[in-house]
Amino acid sequence: MVALGFTLQPEDEFLRRCDRILRAVDYFEIAPETTWYETPDGELRENGFSRRFNAIAEELPGRFFVAHGVGFSLGTASRRDAARRRRWLDRVALDHARFRFRWYTDHLGASSLDGAPVTLPLPLPMTAESARVVRARLADLQTVVPRVGVENSVSYFLLGAPLDEARFLDRVVAGARVHLLLDLHNLYTMSVNFGFDTEDYLRQLNLSKVIEVHLSGGADSDGAWLLSGRVMRLDSHDAAIPDEVWRLAERVLPRCPNLRGVTVERMEGTVSARDVAPLAAEVRRARRLVEKLR
Amino acid sequence: MTSHARYERLLAKAIAAPDPVAALRAAARARSTPPSLRKALARADPDGIRIAALLVARLRFERVLRGSAEASDWFARDPAAFTESFRRYHHEVPLQDFFPAAEARRFSTWSRL
Repeated sequence: MVALGFTLQPEDEFLRRCDRILRAVDYFEIAPETTWYETPDGELRENGFSRRFNAIAEELPGRFFVAHGVGFSLGTASRRDAARRRRWLDRVALDHARFRFRWYTDHLGASSLDGAPVTLPLPLPMTAESARVVRARLADLQTVVPRVGVENSVSYFLLGAPLDEARFLDRVVAGARVHLLLDLHNLYTMSVNFGFDTEDYLRQLNLSKVIEVHLSGGADSDGAWLLSGRVMRLDSHDAAIPDEVWRLAERVLPRCPNLRGVTVERMEGTVSARDVAPLAAEVRRARRLVEKLR
Repeated sequence: MTSHARYERLLAKAIAAPDPVAALRAAARARSTPPSLRKALARADPDGIRIAALLVARLRFERVLRGSAEASDWFARDPAAFTESFRRYHHEVPLQDFFPAAEARRFSTWSRL
Protein backbone atom coordinates (compact mmCIF):
# COMPACT_ATOMS: atom_id res chain seq x y z
CA MET A 1 0.00 0.00 0.00
CA VAL A 2 1.30 3.44 -0.90
CA ALA A 3 1.11 5.96 1.94
CA LEU A 4 0.66 9.72 1.78
CA GLY A 5 3.09 11.99 3.60
CA PHE A 6 3.69 15.62 4.39
CA THR A 7 6.78 17.52 5.50
CA LEU A 8 7.13 18.75 9.06
CA GLN A 9 9.02 22.03 9.07
CA PRO A 10 10.71 23.62 12.08
CA GLU A 11 8.40 26.61 12.35
CA ASP A 12 5.58 27.12 14.86
CA GLU A 13 3.40 29.03 12.40
CA PHE A 14 3.80 26.34 9.74
CA LEU A 15 2.86 23.55 12.15
CA ARG A 16 -0.12 25.46 13.53
CA ARG A 17 -1.49 26.39 10.11
CA CYS A 18 -0.95 22.90 8.73
CA ASP A 19 -2.58 21.14 11.68
CA ARG A 20 -5.54 19.80 9.69
CA ILE A 21 -3.25 18.69 6.89
CA LEU A 22 -1.10 16.73 9.33
CA ARG A 23 -4.21 14.86 10.44
CA ALA A 24 -4.97 13.88 6.84
CA VAL A 25 -1.71 12.07 6.06
CA ASP A 26 -0.16 8.70 6.90
CA TYR A 27 3.42 9.72 7.59
CA PHE A 28 5.65 12.68 8.26
CA GLU A 29 8.89 13.56 6.55
CA ILE A 30 11.51 15.44 8.52
CA ALA A 31 14.98 16.75 7.74
CA PRO A 32 16.82 15.47 10.83
CA GLU A 33 19.35 18.32 10.80
CA THR A 34 16.55 20.88 11.21
CA THR A 35 15.92 19.37 14.65
CA TRP A 36 19.50 19.96 15.83
CA TYR A 37 21.68 22.75 16.99
CA GLU A 38 25.45 22.73 17.32
CA THR A 39 27.16 23.67 20.56
CA PRO A 40 30.30 25.85 20.32
CA ASP A 41 32.42 22.71 20.83
CA GLY A 42 30.74 20.99 17.90
CA GLU A 43 28.31 18.68 19.64
CA LEU A 44 24.98 18.17 17.84
CA ARG A 45 22.04 18.38 20.22
CA GLU A 46 18.31 18.24 19.64
CA ASN A 47 16.45 21.52 19.47
CA GLY A 48 12.85 22.02 20.54
CA PHE A 49 11.43 20.80 17.24
CA SER A 50 12.60 17.25 17.82
CA ARG A 51 10.30 17.03 20.84
CA ARG A 52 7.58 18.96 19.00
CA PHE A 53 7.57 16.56 16.04
CA ASN A 54 7.49 13.62 18.40
CA ALA A 55 4.56 15.16 20.25
CA ILE A 56 2.66 15.54 16.94
CA ALA A 57 3.18 11.84 16.25
CA GLU A 58 2.01 10.91 19.74
CA GLU A 59 -1.11 12.99 19.23
CA LEU A 60 -1.74 11.33 15.86
CA PRO A 61 -1.04 7.64 16.41
CA GLY A 62 -0.47 5.32 13.48
CA ARG A 63 1.71 7.73 11.55
CA PHE A 64 5.32 6.91 10.82
CA PHE A 65 8.40 9.00 10.03
CA VAL A 66 10.79 9.11 7.12
CA ALA A 67 13.99 11.16 7.10
CA HIS A 68 14.97 13.38 4.18
CA GLY A 69 18.10 15.40 4.74
CA VAL A 70 20.15 17.80 2.72
CA GLY A 71 23.30 18.10 4.83
CA PHE A 72 24.85 14.64 5.04
CA SER A 73 26.36 15.19 1.60
CA LEU A 74 26.27 11.94 -0.33
CA GLY A 75 28.80 13.22 -2.85
CA THR A 76 31.58 13.97 -0.38
CA ALA A 77 34.70 11.86 -0.08
CA SER A 78 37.01 14.37 1.57
CA ARG A 79 38.88 13.25 4.67
CA ARG A 80 38.49 16.80 5.96
CA ASP A 81 34.77 16.05 6.25
CA ALA A 82 35.13 12.64 7.91
CA ALA A 83 34.82 13.84 11.52
CA ARG A 84 31.73 15.87 10.65
CA ARG A 85 30.12 12.85 8.98
CA ARG A 86 30.85 10.71 12.04
CA ARG A 87 29.19 13.25 14.33
CA TRP A 88 26.28 13.46 11.90
CA LEU A 89 25.74 9.70 11.91
CA ASP A 90 25.95 9.55 15.70
CA ARG A 91 23.23 12.20 15.91
CA VAL A 92 21.09 10.45 13.27
CA ALA A 93 21.34 7.28 15.39
CA LEU A 94 19.82 9.14 18.34
CA ASP A 95 17.05 10.52 16.13
CA HIS A 96 16.40 7.09 14.68
CA ALA A 97 15.95 5.72 18.21
CA ARG A 98 13.25 8.35 18.72
CA PHE A 99 11.53 8.45 15.30
CA ARG A 100 12.17 4.92 13.94
CA PHE A 101 12.61 6.19 10.38
CA ARG A 102 11.24 3.78 7.78
CA TRP A 103 13.91 5.06 5.39
CA TYR A 104 16.47 7.84 5.12
CA THR A 105 17.10 9.75 1.92
CA ASP A 106 19.37 12.62 0.95
CA HIS A 107 20.06 14.52 -2.24
CA LEU A 108 22.26 13.58 -5.16
CA GLY A 109 25.21 15.96 -5.01
CA ALA A 110 27.68 17.39 -2.55
CA SER A 111 26.46 19.86 0.05
CA SER A 112 29.85 19.75 1.74
CA LEU A 113 32.96 20.17 -0.39
CA ASP A 114 36.41 19.38 0.95
CA GLY A 115 35.15 20.21 4.44
CA ALA A 116 33.30 23.38 3.37
CA PRO A 117 29.53 23.22 3.99
CA VAL A 118 28.05 24.83 0.88
CA THR A 119 24.63 23.51 2.07
CA LEU A 120 23.20 23.47 -1.48
CA PRO A 121 23.68 20.08 -3.17
CA LEU A 122 26.09 20.80 -6.02
CA PRO A 123 26.47 18.51 -9.03
CA LEU A 124 28.96 15.67 -9.25
CA PRO A 125 31.00 14.49 -12.20
CA MET A 126 28.94 11.57 -13.51
CA THR A 127 31.83 9.13 -13.30
CA ALA A 128 32.33 5.66 -11.88
CA GLU A 129 34.46 7.21 -9.13
CA SER A 130 31.72 9.63 -8.05
CA ALA A 131 29.15 6.81 -8.12
CA ARG A 132 31.44 4.84 -5.77
CA VAL A 133 31.61 7.85 -3.44
CA VAL A 134 27.82 8.16 -3.26
CA ARG A 135 27.43 4.40 -2.72
CA ALA A 136 29.96 4.58 0.12
CA ARG A 137 28.06 7.42 1.80
CA LEU A 138 24.77 5.55 1.42
CA ALA A 139 26.45 2.53 3.01
CA ASP A 140 27.52 4.80 5.90
CA LEU A 141 23.89 5.83 6.36
CA GLN A 142 22.81 2.20 6.26
CA THR A 143 24.86 1.53 9.39
CA VAL A 144 22.20 3.62 11.17
CA VAL A 145 19.02 3.37 9.08
CA PRO A 146 19.01 0.15 7.05
CA ARG A 147 16.83 1.40 4.20
CA VAL A 148 18.22 4.46 2.41
CA GLY A 149 17.84 6.38 -0.81
CA VAL A 150 18.96 9.22 -3.00
CA GLU A 151 16.84 11.97 -4.52
CA ASN A 152 17.25 13.36 -8.01
CA SER A 153 18.30 16.93 -7.17
CA VAL A 154 17.99 20.18 -9.03
CA SER A 155 21.40 21.24 -10.28
CA TYR A 156 21.74 24.56 -12.00
CA PHE A 157 24.80 23.41 -13.89
CA LEU A 158 25.89 19.90 -14.77
CA LEU A 159 29.12 18.07 -15.45
CA GLY A 160 27.76 15.95 -18.25
CA ALA A 161 24.61 15.62 -20.31
CA PRO A 162 21.34 16.02 -18.37
CA LEU A 163 20.00 12.67 -19.50
CA ASP A 164 23.17 10.91 -18.27
CA GLU A 165 21.99 11.55 -14.72
CA ALA A 166 19.36 8.80 -14.92
CA ARG A 167 22.03 6.21 -15.74
CA PHE A 168 24.29 7.65 -13.02
CA LEU A 169 21.49 7.25 -10.49
CA ASP A 170 21.01 3.65 -11.56
CA ARG A 171 24.67 2.94 -10.76
CA VAL A 172 24.29 4.63 -7.38
CA VAL A 173 21.23 2.67 -6.23
CA ALA A 174 22.36 -0.75 -7.37
CA GLY A 175 22.72 -2.12 -3.82
CA ALA A 176 20.22 -3.90 -1.59
CA ARG A 177 17.86 -1.65 0.40
CA VAL A 178 19.10 1.35 -1.58
CA HIS A 179 16.35 3.26 -3.34
CA LEU A 180 15.45 6.24 -5.43
CA LEU A 181 13.42 9.17 -4.22
CA LEU A 182 11.93 10.61 -7.37
CA ASP A 183 11.18 14.30 -6.93
CA LEU A 184 8.86 15.21 -9.78
CA HIS A 185 9.22 18.95 -9.35
CA ASN A 186 12.99 18.56 -9.50
CA LEU A 187 12.63 16.54 -12.68
CA TYR A 188 10.29 19.16 -14.14
CA THR A 189 12.65 21.97 -13.11
CA MET A 190 15.64 20.25 -14.72
CA SER A 191 13.64 19.67 -17.92
CA VAL A 192 12.76 23.38 -18.05
CA ASN A 193 16.28 24.62 -17.30
CA PHE A 194 18.11 22.16 -19.54
CA GLY A 195 15.48 21.68 -22.25
CA PHE A 196 14.85 17.96 -22.25
CA ASP A 197 11.74 15.80 -22.29
CA THR A 198 10.94 14.31 -18.88
CA GLU A 199 9.88 11.08 -20.56
CA ASP A 200 13.35 10.66 -22.10
CA TYR A 201 14.80 10.88 -18.57
CA LEU A 202 12.21 8.54 -17.06
CA ARG A 203 12.78 5.93 -19.78
CA GLN A 204 16.39 5.60 -18.60
CA LEU A 205 15.54 5.41 -14.91
CA ASN A 206 14.96 2.10 -13.14
CA LEU A 207 11.54 2.94 -11.73
CA SER A 208 11.43 -0.31 -9.77
CA LYS A 209 13.93 1.36 -7.42
CA VAL A 210 11.61 4.26 -6.55
CA ILE A 211 10.50 4.08 -2.92
CA GLU A 212 9.12 7.62 -2.57
CA VAL A 213 7.86 10.38 -4.83
CA HIS A 214 7.94 14.07 -3.94
CA LEU A 215 5.35 16.57 -5.10
CA SER A 216 6.12 20.25 -4.64
CA GLY A 217 6.17 23.60 -6.34
CA GLY A 218 8.76 26.22 -7.08
CA ALA A 219 9.33 29.60 -8.64
CA ASP A 220 11.35 31.29 -11.35
CA SER A 221 14.52 33.22 -10.59
CA ASP A 222 14.51 36.98 -10.89
CA GLY A 223 15.73 38.04 -14.32
CA ALA A 224 17.93 40.64 -12.64
CA TRP A 225 20.01 37.94 -10.94
CA LEU A 226 21.95 37.21 -14.11
CA LEU A 227 23.66 39.65 -16.45
CA SER A 228 22.24 37.60 -19.32
CA GLY A 229 18.72 38.29 -18.01
CA ARG A 230 18.01 34.58 -18.21
CA VAL A 231 15.37 33.16 -15.89
CA MET A 232 15.83 29.71 -14.42
CA ARG A 233 13.30 27.65 -12.53
CA LEU A 234 14.17 27.13 -8.88
CA ASP A 235 13.63 24.21 -6.55
CA SER A 236 12.18 26.51 -3.91
CA HIS A 237 9.19 24.52 -2.58
CA ASP A 238 7.38 27.77 -1.95
CA ALA A 239 4.38 27.68 -4.28
CA ALA A 240 1.56 25.52 -5.58
CA ILE A 241 2.38 22.25 -7.31
CA PRO A 242 2.29 23.08 -11.04
CA ASP A 243 -0.06 21.27 -13.43
CA GLU A 244 2.94 19.80 -15.24
CA VAL A 245 4.00 18.05 -12.02
CA TRP A 246 0.49 16.68 -11.41
CA ARG A 247 0.42 15.34 -14.97
CA LEU A 248 3.83 13.76 -14.43
CA ALA A 249 2.58 12.15 -11.21
CA GLU A 250 -0.42 10.66 -12.97
CA ARG A 251 1.88 9.11 -15.57
CA VAL A 252 4.71 8.00 -13.31
CA LEU A 253 3.17 6.67 -10.10
CA PRO A 254 1.58 3.59 -11.72
CA ARG A 255 5.00 2.74 -13.22
CA CYS A 256 6.74 2.51 -9.81
CA PRO A 257 5.96 -1.03 -8.57
CA ASN A 258 7.82 -0.68 -5.26
CA LEU A 259 6.60 2.77 -4.35
CA ARG A 260 5.82 3.15 -0.63
CA GLY A 261 5.13 6.84 -0.19
CA VAL A 262 4.09 10.05 -1.93
CA THR A 263 5.09 13.17 -0.02
CA VAL A 264 3.73 16.67 -0.48
CA GLU A 265 6.52 19.09 0.41
CA ARG A 266 6.37 22.72 1.38
CA MET A 267 9.04 24.98 2.88
CA GLU A 268 8.69 26.81 6.17
CA GLY A 269 7.93 30.51 5.83
CA THR A 270 5.85 29.91 2.69
CA VAL A 271 2.44 29.04 4.14
CA SER A 272 0.36 32.12 4.84
CA ALA A 273 -3.22 31.90 6.16
CA ARG A 274 -4.57 32.08 2.61
CA ASP A 275 -2.27 29.27 1.43
CA VAL A 276 -3.72 26.72 3.83
CA ALA A 277 -6.89 25.85 1.87
CA PRO A 278 -5.09 25.38 -1.49
CA LEU A 279 -2.37 23.35 0.21
CA ALA A 280 -5.00 21.14 1.87
CA ALA A 281 -6.61 20.71 -1.56
CA GLU A 282 -3.24 19.59 -2.95
CA VAL A 283 -2.94 17.00 -0.20
CA ARG A 284 -6.46 15.72 -0.99
CA ARG A 285 -5.56 15.53 -4.69
CA ALA A 286 -2.39 13.59 -3.82
CA ARG A 287 -4.53 11.26 -1.70
CA ARG A 288 -6.77 10.56 -4.69
CA LEU A 289 -3.70 9.71 -6.79
CA VAL A 290 -2.43 7.34 -4.11
CA GLU A 291 -5.82 5.66 -3.74
CA LYS A 292 -5.91 4.97 -7.48
CA LEU A 293 -2.80 2.80 -6.99
CA ARG A 294 -4.54 0.41 -4.59
CA MET B 1 44.67 13.08 -4.84
CA THR B 2 41.74 11.39 -6.61
CA SER B 3 39.82 13.12 -9.36
CA HIS B 4 36.77 13.41 -7.08
CA ALA B 5 38.80 14.95 -4.26
CA ARG B 6 40.31 17.44 -6.70
CA TYR B 7 36.83 18.36 -7.87
CA GLU B 8 35.63 18.95 -4.30
CA ARG B 9 38.59 21.20 -3.59
CA LEU B 10 38.33 23.32 -6.75
CA LEU B 11 34.54 23.70 -6.55
CA ALA B 12 34.70 24.69 -2.86
CA LYS B 13 37.03 27.54 -3.82
CA ALA B 14 35.21 28.57 -6.97
CA ILE B 15 31.65 28.61 -5.68
CA ALA B 16 32.36 31.36 -3.13
CA ALA B 17 34.73 33.33 -5.39
CA PRO B 18 33.73 36.83 -6.57
CA ASP B 19 33.52 35.43 -10.12
CA PRO B 20 32.69 31.72 -9.82
CA VAL B 21 32.55 31.20 -13.60
CA ALA B 22 36.07 32.61 -14.08
CA ALA B 23 37.31 30.52 -11.16
CA LEU B 24 35.86 27.31 -12.61
CA ARG B 25 37.12 28.11 -16.10
CA ALA B 26 40.60 28.70 -14.65
CA ALA B 27 40.37 25.32 -12.91
CA ALA B 28 39.32 23.80 -16.22
CA ARG B 29 42.57 25.09 -17.77
CA ALA B 30 44.83 23.95 -14.93
CA ARG B 31 47.16 21.07 -15.76
CA SER B 32 46.55 19.53 -12.34
CA THR B 33 42.87 19.01 -13.25
CA PRO B 34 42.22 15.58 -14.82
CA PRO B 35 41.39 15.84 -18.55
CA SER B 36 37.84 14.46 -18.28
CA LEU B 37 37.04 16.91 -15.48
CA ARG B 38 38.60 19.80 -17.45
CA LYS B 39 36.29 19.02 -20.33
CA ALA B 40 33.19 18.80 -18.11
CA LEU B 41 34.02 22.04 -16.29
CA ALA B 42 34.64 23.90 -19.53
CA ARG B 43 31.18 22.91 -20.75
CA ALA B 44 29.29 23.74 -17.55
CA ASP B 45 26.51 26.31 -18.05
CA PRO B 46 27.86 29.72 -16.86
CA ASP B 47 24.39 31.00 -15.89
CA GLY B 48 23.80 27.84 -13.89
CA ILE B 49 27.14 28.24 -12.10
CA ARG B 50 26.21 31.84 -11.20
CA ILE B 51 22.76 30.88 -9.93
CA ALA B 52 24.24 28.06 -7.83
CA ALA B 53 26.84 30.46 -6.38
CA LEU B 54 24.11 33.01 -5.62
CA LEU B 55 22.04 30.39 -3.82
CA VAL B 56 25.05 29.23 -1.78
CA ALA B 57 25.59 32.86 -0.75
CA ARG B 58 21.89 33.34 -0.02
CA LEU B 59 21.77 30.27 2.23
CA ARG B 60 24.80 31.61 4.11
CA PHE B 61 23.18 35.04 4.37
CA GLU B 62 20.09 33.41 5.87
CA ARG B 63 22.22 31.46 8.35
CA VAL B 64 23.78 34.68 9.60
CA LEU B 65 20.37 36.33 10.04
CA ARG B 66 18.83 33.28 11.72
CA GLY B 67 21.79 32.83 14.01
CA SER B 68 22.03 36.33 15.41
CA ALA B 69 19.46 38.84 16.57
CA GLU B 70 22.19 41.48 16.34
CA ALA B 71 22.80 40.73 12.66
CA SER B 72 19.08 40.61 12.00
CA ASP B 73 18.64 44.03 13.64
CA TRP B 74 21.51 45.45 11.60
CA PHE B 75 19.93 44.16 8.38
CA ALA B 76 16.53 45.67 9.34
CA ARG B 77 18.16 49.01 10.20
CA ASP B 78 20.48 49.33 7.20
CA PRO B 79 20.03 46.58 4.60
CA ALA B 80 22.49 48.09 2.10
CA ALA B 81 25.34 48.35 4.60
CA PHE B 82 24.66 44.89 6.01
CA THR B 83 24.50 43.32 2.56
CA GLU B 84 27.76 44.95 1.50
CA SER B 85 29.42 43.74 4.68
CA PHE B 86 28.08 40.23 4.12
CA ARG B 87 29.30 40.28 0.52
CA ARG B 88 32.86 40.97 1.70
CA TYR B 89 32.56 38.34 4.44
CA HIS B 90 31.41 35.72 1.93
CA HIS B 91 34.36 36.34 -0.36
CA GLU B 92 36.96 36.67 2.39
CA VAL B 93 35.98 33.95 4.86
CA PRO B 94 35.87 30.34 3.68
CA LEU B 95 32.66 28.41 4.26
CA GLN B 96 33.02 26.47 7.50
CA ASP B 97 29.65 26.37 9.28
CA PHE B 98 26.49 24.44 8.58
CA PHE B 99 24.45 25.73 11.51
CA PRO B 100 23.22 29.32 11.92
CA ALA B 101 24.67 30.02 15.38
CA ALA B 102 28.24 29.17 14.35
CA GLU B 103 27.95 31.12 11.08
CA ALA B 104 26.59 34.12 12.94
CA ARG B 105 29.39 33.97 15.53
CA ARG B 106 31.97 33.88 12.76
CA PHE B 107 30.36 36.80 10.95
CA SER B 108 30.11 38.79 14.18
CA THR B 109 33.78 38.22 14.97
CA TRP B 110 34.80 39.12 11.40
CA SER B 111 32.66 42.27 11.24
CA ARG B 112 34.24 43.63 14.45
CA LEU B 113 37.79 43.21 13.19
